[in-house]
Amino acid sequence: MSDLQKSNSNLQAVGCVEIDDLSIRFASPQGREVVAVETTDLRLEPGSFTALIGPSGCGKSTILNAIAGFVSPSSGSICVDGKAVTGPDPEVGVVFQQYALFPWFTAIGNVKFALKRFRLGREELQRQAHEALKEVGLGDRASAYPGQLSGGMKQRVALARTFASKPKVLLMDEPFGALDAQTRISMHELLLRIWDAHRTTVLFVTHDVDEALLLSDRVFVMSEGPGRIIDSFEVQSDRPRVVDQVDEHFVANRNRITKLLRQSHADSI
Amino acid sequence: MNSVKKIGKVLLSLSGVVAIWWLFALSDAVNPQLFPTPLAVWEAALELHQEGLLYSDLNVSLERAAIGFFTGSLLGIVIGLLTAQTRFFRFALNPFLTLLRPIPAIALVPVAIVWFGIGEPSKYFVISYTVFLAVWLNTHHGMEHIATTYLRAARSLGASRTREFFEVVIPAAAPHIVAGLRMGAALAFLALVAAELTGSSSGIGFRLQEARQFIRTDRMFVGLIELGILGALLDFIFVTMSRKIVHWEHL
Ligand SMILES: Nc1ncnc2c1ncn2[C@@H]1O[C@H](COP(=O)(O)OP(=O)(O)OP(=O)(O)O)[C@@H](O)[C@H]1O
Ligand SMILES: [Mg+2]
Repeated sequence: MSDLQKSNSNLQAVGCVEIDDLSIRFASPQGREVVAVETTDLRLEPGSFTALIGPSGCGKSTILNAIAGFVSPSSGSICVDGKAVTGPDPEVGVVFQQYALFPWFTAIGNVKFALKRFRLGREELQRQAHEALKEVGLGDRASAYPGQLSGGMKQRVALARTFASKPKVLLMDEPFGALDAQTRISMHELLLRIWDAHRTTVLFVTHDVDEALLLSDRVFVMSEGPGRIIDSFEVQSDRPRVVDQVDEHFVANRNRITKLLRQSHADSI
Repeated sequence: MNSVKKIGKVLLSLSGVVAIWWLFALSDAVNPQLFPTPLAVWEAALELHQEGLLYSDLNVSLERAAIGFFTGSLLGIVIGLLTAQTRFFRFALNPFLTLLRPIPAIALVPVAIVWFGIGEPSKYFVISYTVFLAVWLNTHHGMEHIATTYLRAARSLGASRTREFFEVVIPAAAPHIVAGLRMGAALAFLALVAAELTGSSSGIGFRLQEARQFIRTDRMFVGLIELGILGALLDFIFVTMSRKIVHWEHL
């Protein structure tokens, strides 16, 4: 084995998510059982960017919450780097649609919250927190409270906060769903830049086909009733990808997903 | 500039009220013995002051309200934290407290007198109990309704239970706790007067009751105005404080 391969295989061990035969059921308020996710297998390659796309209510958030350790599987297993998920863990970072910033802390206070687990000295804490904010272009808004920031800025602080805790896996649940088109595009660029620098394994939930194809290496398509993965494929288009200059792969993939989603929707009604 | 304007407005509206009051008291519609003029009330206040009662009543009442308020809110916050955080306490205490909640403070006065006599402890009991219920309910409610995403974010960012409690749970519940304290302060006044009206020999409430025996409505009005001013001041202080404490709610 060459040195290069060795270092590659070391890298391979970091941020690998394996889901086997996962199913998740909830008790509905009427006492009936709701199958949110039906036997699903899914593998996230270390350092890869994966999108999970599907209609509303198909169980995307449920899968993501299970990997994050917020809900426990009814059957099957979820492992991160070979270790079964038993609860929330800083190795698995989450970026929420509604930002989930702590409004009582400033932007930098929110980032420090994530850094505290490393037990740094005061100055080092301050320095790293500032560094993280600078990375998302908010070095000058460090002392602003979330209530004083726009939606896009909030989500950038949330990104900085999550990356500050140095997760191996990053889960994002429609993180840019509440943002306007322009802001969304600059957030995509920012996210890809940070992802490139940190090489975290990303699972990105969305129901926007273009967003999935612009960002990811691999796309999983889900259908509802009950939620399951009906297709998965590589996205071959070269990076960087720009939404108004798409190649033929992109168009083909877009058609493929749109057709799948339409079919599964037609099946369910 | 703005605050000068505000004070001007308040003064204007107050003098309007006093003017209408005065006209009403002088009209034939009411007996001046039963409905005093502002001047008569002012003179009654001076009289109370010369007798040395104005200040001492105020002092006694404020002390009772303060002691009752602090005891009640401390207990309310601590018990609220317990009942919201531990399933055991929630299970054991909730139904009990739900039954106690509708009992008005006044109804407790006779019981308190039997239990604690007519001295200070019975007043402390009635006031702190009333404050406790308000603060407990608000604290409990605030802690129970913390957005799950805050807790999820805290845990997946590697916060320990202790850090989660002090840096997430407490601040997230703070707006409710502060609202409970504000409500508690208003209720402390209510309970204070209820406790002083019966079985007491000093304080604003007692002076009101005493004035009734001599049909001194002018003295009664002094007491009522005192209560009004105190209550308004207290509320102002609480609003100002809560703007400082939960500043992020007011962005
Ligand atoms: N805590 C819960 N209790 C009961 N049912 C739940 C719970 N969480 C999710 N469900 C159900 O599971 C199914 C999947 O929900 P989920 O939130 O994962 O969908 P989603 O794909 O994320 O949808 P959206 O795109 O609208 O966010 C839904 O039918 C939902 O009602
Ligand atoms: Mg969802």
